Amino acid sequence: MKEKNMIILGIGVIVLVISTLSFYLIKDDAIDLFDIIAIPMLIVIIIFASYTLYDKIKNYKAGLPSKDERLENAAYKSGYYGFIAAIWSAVGINLIYNLMFDKDIRGGLVVAGVVLISGAVFAFSYIYFSRKGC
Amino acid sequence: MKTRIKELRARYDLTQEDLARKVGVRRETIVFLEKGKYNPSLKLAYDIAKILKTNIEDLFIFDES
Repeated sequence: MKEKNMIILGIGVIVLVISTLSFYLIKDDAIDLFDIIAIPMLIVIIIFASYTLYDKIKNYKAGLPSKDERLENAAYKSGYYGFIAAIWSAVGINLIYNLMFDKDIRGGLVVAGVVLISGAVFAFSYIYFSRKGC
Repeated sequence: MKTRIKELRARYDLTQEDLARKVGVRRETIVFLEKGKYNPSLKLAYDIAKILKTNIEDLFIFDES
């Protein structure tokens, strides 16, 4: 029952995120640099959430648990890689921006970049470890 | 690490999904265990050994080299 509720909740969240993103994209204002980072961030979240949901539904239908010790290990390992990526991107984004444009980047953009990079590293390494083993 | 899970599973006519359901893991975990690509926890190793009516030492063969 708990797993079924989690699946329903997940579908609800994905629908809400996609509809919010759609409204955001069709608005009249011009898209600035922050949007360019925020949109891929949402796309990464949507892809990752859709994949994990599909996987959960598949196992739920087969009467198997949606998460087990191997996937927990994969999540810990991916979390570690995501953390390392967050540290390096926090340093790297500002450095690269500085080298390219010869000025400092806004703090908010660094935070957005860190979230995007570490989130993407976590999501893709989690999918990789869950499919290829860890 | 090598395992005899596949061999013993066949002896008791269990599919990967049957074994996964009995020990409460996903089918992919059994696949990775059979390929030697995943080291299980002691509890999971014990549960699998119990289902396959053997002991852990006979089920998992550690390669010293």
